[in-house]
Parts: sequence; C-alpha cells; structure tokens
Amino acid sequence: MEKNTNIRSTESAKTFQPEESETLRQTIRRSLAVPQVVLFFIVIALLVIGGIINPRFLGVDNMKIVTRDIAILAIAAIGVGFPILTGGIDLSVGSVVGLGGVIVAYCMMNLLLPVWLSIILTLILALILGTFHGLFVTKLKMHGFLITLVTLGLARGFILVLTNAFPITGLPREFNTIGQGYVANLIPVPLVICVVIAMLAYYLLRFTYIGRQIYATGSNVDAARLSGVNVDARIILCYIFSVVCATIVGMIQAARLSIGHPAAGEGYELLAIAACILGGVSLMGGQGNIFGILVGAALIGTVQNAMVMLNINPYWHKIVISLVLLVAITLDYARRRRESMNR
Amino acid sequence: MDIQPLLKMEKVSKNFPGVQALEQVDFEIYPGEILGLVGENGAGKSTLIKIISGVYAKNHGHIHFRGQSVDFRSPYESQAHGIATIYQELALIPHLSVCENVFLNREPRKMFGAVDFRKMRQQTEAILADLGVHISGHRLVKDLTIASQQMVEIAKAVSRNAYLVLMDEPTSSLSSKEVDALFNLMRRLKEKGVSVVFVSHRLEEVLRVVDRIIVMRDGHRVGTLSRTDANESKMIQMMVGREVGLFPKTEVPIGEPILELRNISGSNGVRDVNLKVHKGEIVGLAGLIGAGRTELARLICGADRRSEGVILIDGEEVQIKNPADAVRNGIGWVPEDRKHHGLVLDMDIKENTTLAILRRISNRFGTVSLRSEREIATHYRETLSIVTSGLSKAVKYLSGGNQQKVVLAKWLSTKPKILIVDEPTRGIDIGAKAEFHALMSKLAGEGLAILMISSEMPEIMGMSDRVVVMCQGRVTGEFKRGQLSQVEIMTSATKFLNLEADSTMPI
Repeated sequence: MEKNTNIRSTESAKTFQPEESETLRQTIRRSLAVPQVVLFFIVIALLVIGGIINPRFLGVDNMKIVTRDIAILAIAAIGVGFPILTGGIDLSVGSVVGLGGVIVAYCMMNLLLPVWLSIILTLILALILGTFHGLFVTKLKMHGFLITLVTLGLARGFILVLTNAFPITGLPREFNTIGQGYVANLIPVPLVICVVIAMLAYYLLRFTYIGRQIYATGSNVDAARLSGVNVDARIILCYIFSVVCATIVGMIQAARLSIGHPAAGEGYELLAIAACILGGVSLMGGQGNIFGILVGAALIGTVQNAMVMLNINPYWHKIVISLVLLVAITLDYARRRRESMNR
Repeated sequence: MDIQPLLKMEKVSKNFPGVQALEQVDFEIYPGEILGLVGENGAGKSTLIKIISGVYAKNHGHIHFRGQSVDFRSPYESQAHGIATIYQELALIPHLSVCENVFLNREPRKMFGAVDFRKMRQQTEAILADLGVHISGHRLVKDLTIASQQMVEIAKAVSRNAYLVLMDEPTSSLSSKEVDALFNLMRRLKEKGVSVVFVSHRLEEVLRVVDRIIVMRDGHRVGTLSRTDANESKMIQMMVGREVGLFPKTEVPIGEPILELRNISGSNGVRDVNLKVHKGEIVGLAGLIGAGRTELARLICGADRRSEGVILIDGEEVQIKNPADAVRNGIGWVPEDRKHHGLVLDMDIKENTTLAILRRISNRFGTVSLRSEREIATHYRETLSIVTSGLSKAVKYLSGGNQQKVVLAKWLSTKPKILIVDEPTRGIDIGAKAEFHALMSKLAGEGLAILMISSEMPEIMGMSDRVVVMCQGRVTGEFKRGQLSQVEIMTSATKFLNLEADSTMPI
C-alpha cells in the first residue's frame, strides 16, 4: 500500500511540472507531433511558393476566390465528418449538393415562392432526408455506406426528373448574395457561413454532452449504449447534419452561378471525404476534430487553385488531388504503425 | 542440470517510451517442462511472452532456441520454428467457423487445392473433445461465449504440433471443469516432450500443474521456485514484496430488498428467474460458464430484451427497456468484457468516468462542465486509488486493475442503488484484486446492493453473503453465508447438465 502511494505522488509531480513550465521549444515540438498542424504549415508553404512563382496568386482577387472555394468545400467536409465520426459514412453528399441547388431554384423560379421560404423548405427537405438515412442506419442496423449509396443515385435521378436535365437559370439577385456577395466588400459570404457552421460544430463536439456522446458512440458503440447513451439519437443527428450541410453547399453553389444546375456537385463527396481523411478523421470512427477538417479542406482548395494559377492542364487536376491524398494517408498510416509497434 | 534448455534468454531488455518493461532478464525452459510464469500485471510477463513469439523486438540480449541463436521478427517466424502462442487477447476471426479458425492458413486440401472441410471439421472436433468441450466445428466463432472462444484458441495452438507452447492467461475465462481439461492436455503435451509456459494470476492453478515457477516483478526476474518448495503465500510475497489479504468481506447489517426479480425470462436463455438483492448485501451468482448469469445481468440492465417477468426496485415495479432506463433507475453494471462493454479505450480517464452522467453535469445548453468533470474524476481517482500519471491519460494505457477501477468509477458516479459486477477481478493482478474486494465490501457497507457474478470459487465463497447458483438459465440453488459448501454449489451448478450437450448456452 505504501509503495502504491509513493508511485502516485512521484508520478503526479512529474506530469504537473511540464504542464506549467513548458518551454516554447517543447510546445513547438509537441504541436509538430500533431499531423494537422504539420498540414497547416504545408498549406502556408504552398501559398508562399505559389506566390513566388505567380505573384497574382497571393493578390486580393485570387484570395477571395480561394477562400470561397475552401469555405464551400469545408462546409460539406464538416457535414460528412459527423457520420464518419460515428464510424459510418455519407456517400450522398455530391448528389445532395445538386439536389439542394435545384430544389431551391425550383421553389423560387417554378413555384415562385419567396427566397426565404424556398431556403427554409429546402432545409426542411434536407432534415427529412437526413432523418431517413439515420433511421435506416440505427433501426435496421444498415451501414451508412449502403443507404447513402442509394440516395447518391436516387437524388441525382430526382434532379433530372425535376429539371428535365435543363439548368434553372436567372435566380433572384438577393438569393445570389449568399454565393457571390461580400461582407465589407472583402470577405466572401460563403466564408462567413462556413465560419458560423464550423464554430457551431466545434462547440457541439468539444463542449457539449452530445458531442462527447458522439465520440463515445464512434469509438465503442456497445460501451456507450450500456452507459445509457442514446446511441441511436446521436447517430441520426450526425446523418441529419451531413445532409443539411451538403444542402447548404448546394444552395451556395447555385447562388454563386445563379443557376440550379442538374450536374452540380457531381463527385463532390470524394473531395469532402478526402478533406476529412487529410484532416485526421479516422474512418473507424471516434477520432478527428473540426480543426483538422478545416485544414484538410484548405489543403485541397489551395492545391486546386494553385493548379489553375500555374496553368496546369485541368485534365491533371484529379490526378494531383488524388496523389496528395495518397501521400497524406500513407504518411499517416506509417505513423500509426510506428506508434502501435512502440506500444 | 545437464540437459540443454529448449529455450534460453540471456540478459534480455525491452523498453517502451518511458517504461523499462524488462531489464536484463534471464529465462530458460527445459524440454518437457511446464513452467509457471507469475507476477503482478505490469511485471513484464506478457512482454516476455511477446518477445519470445516475435511480436515485440528486444532491445538487448540474446535468445537461443534448440541450440541456435534466434531473433524472431514476427509471430510468423516463431510459429515456423515450432513455437505456438495463446495470447491474452483472443486472436480469432469472428466471422469464420471454429474449424476454419483452428486450421487457418494450413487447411487440409483435397484435389485441385479445394479445402477438405470434412477432414478439417473432424480433426477440429477431435482436438476440442480432447479438451473436454463439445462445440460443433461449423459454428461461427462470434456466436460462442468468451470461454468457448478461449478453448478454440487453445485448440488452435496445440494442433500445431509445436515444441513450445506459450499460454498467456489461458484460464482467466474458463470454468473449473474446462481448466481441468486444459491441465490434462498440458500434462499430455509434457509427456510428448513439449514444453509449456503457463502465465496465470490464479496461483492455486499454477501450483496444480507446473514443474517450476519463475516469479517476476517490475521487469525483473525475482526468483525461481520448484513445485515442492512453492506455496501461494510464498509466491505472492515474491510478487508484491508484501503480504496481501484476500476476500475481506466484512459483516454489515442487511437491509430491505432493493432489487427484486420476479419470473424473469428472456430470449437469451434465461428462464424464470426469481432473485432478491438486499441493501448492504453481496449476492454471489455462481455457475458454470454459459449458465446464463451474464445473460441475466443483460436482462436486468436492459441490454437484452426481456420476454417475461417484472423487475422491482425498492418494492416498485420499473420499466427497463434499454440501458438508459437501467441507468436512470440506479442500476450499474461492471461488465465481464471491460474493453468492449465497459470502456471507451481511446477516451481518457475523466471522459470515461463521466460517460454515464454527462447530462447531469451539463447546463441547459448542453455544455459539459469540465470543472465538475475534473472534480468527479479526481474524487474517484483518490477514493479508488486509480494509479495514473494524469486524468487525461487514455484508458487503453492503464493496467487491467486500473481500467476496472475506471469502469467502477463510472458507475459509482451515477450514485447507483444496485451494482452488478461480472467477473470483477478477471485478469487483474493480486494486489489490485485484494483492493477491489476490499472496495466492494466497503460499498456494501455503505448500503449498496451488489450482485456479483464470478467463476472463481474462492471469490464466491469469500465475498458473498448469499450465493445463488444458476444452471442452463435457471436458478438451481441458494445458500446463505455459513452454510456454503463448494461441493453443494458445484452440484447445483451441474444439476441439468447433460454431458453430451454443448458446453455453451443453447440459443
């Protein structure tokens, strides 16, 4: 017994000291061990290198474009991050982006509804679709992969039926603000929307019991359920969040081009999921955070824009993005392997 | 001794970041010897086993096996040299059948390379029958109980015809009948000249079967005992460097009934169970593996669906449809399989401690009060003496005993009236075990009603105020403290047992 208390007191003494008197050097070292921080510096480095090669890259005009692109991708990535945190996935992001844009355009142009009502109706539809995904996943114990794969096809098909494959054009100017507008003539509105969503998501995950329960559900669903966590409700919430975010992205993109385009968002799920994975969200569930997702989205957005600015043949863009993803996940797996060998 | 050792380790060291797991350890095992390896958790037994089997690489030292210097880089290499290992954590593939697991990667073949399933099944069942268990080779591993899975793991290892079999805590989830069968098998291996390293926390078992004992403590080999000079207290003293008292249940006044079960049945095999647990009482639930004890616990906790019967708490009927209802009604459950059902391994100590009370420590916007969380976790770290460098440490890095205390902390923080503990000291070292028993005794003294499921007879006999015995889903006996006899408990536990039947629950 005496021996035990001794161990405890010396151990706690050991850990309390460094927490209080950590030198700057140690802080830097510790944060460099976090892959997302390293990724963040890679993004900065890319911007600097891009700026040296082509000075216009860092100009205000281009920055407006880059931040808007990144913001839009980040919204979708934050959304899809939630089902991934529970150990599931949402493959319907791209089609839902398309659906969101077309529905809101249809409401305004074909049903002649006011802008605010169209937006609310579209969001309600998103809510219903997300709930539908969540119910299949929890009540039928279906993997999210399957039910959202169905929606991937279903939503795209529904878009085609609704539009006859023709874009819905000429959206009202006040609606277009959410995609084209600027706050104080400088900050793109989508960036503002993204920041609001990111802060909400961060707060939810980091500080509320719901967020904690989402992580617990993703890490060990049995232990969470047996501890009295309403696992089903948390999972459903995550799927709703994903669809709502994708729908918001759809509306922003429609507003940006002033078109409800039937092909909008095609393949967008891959970029959104890639941003999550780059940002350190584990596909096994239970691990990842909003900061990581934002950095992941920033990396993809920056690389895409850099390729445009450096006049790289657009046919190569997909290859480059995929290679970036490959390098990042390979490094991450190598790091995890090293950690598990040492343990 | 003139005989050359089968395996010899010289001054082997292994360090993990921040921990010296093994320091200059010498180790030897002779042909045809059963060697007991004992020590508290964290003493370095598992690390030693994993270095021999090639899971970990040693940092220093030499290993000789059958006269050759070896350095296994992977478990595959050690297997190829004739070393079979049964790890503490089961390494079976849940979605494959029993026989596919046993013969994984060396399936008997027919013409054109097709797997000879008939032969595979026959051989598997023969090996299992040798071990005294009757499990169909076609059943999927995921449908078996942990004990049966353990027997499959053992069958897999012994079927490899190895020179050396390493067993890291193979008995921790076995019933005494299964343990006997395993020991007979170990003796037969010995007769064939095979050497066995047997790691166990159950010292009385070690004494029954081994020829020689190596005791480890804090990464060192602290002593060697031959079976003739070994006894339990000597081993414990060497292991912990101090005397420990086991099973100290103190007499406390028994109050009114807190939990009452009336005619509980469920689709998981529990049939018509009536049971009362009173305030301050520890009721031991004894029985063989698969008698339906864990299943009964699952019904009480709302983890499985109850088909019949009512549950009363404080004399009033309560509706328990899911685990959340059980938590609300003051039922806590420390499960048998703490890694899968008790803990979120990637989360830290404070997060695990408050997992069941998150809502209670959140404000109306749902924000968790990190301050109360820290206070609650600190409180239980002190009262349960959880040994850790900090509350932000992920529970996967804690020893088994400390992990179990975190699970206990989680349930105590809900202020439960009833605590169900399922194999509470399984896989926990001696020191922590005694601490845990003292703790349960203290909790009962504070008025908690405790239902304790245990397969360890000394634990049942020492801790229980009353023992209820189950067999095949039914209650088959009940004994008060003072009239407890091991023979009668075993008789009740095997009352309906048909020896031909599968040793697992018929579902």
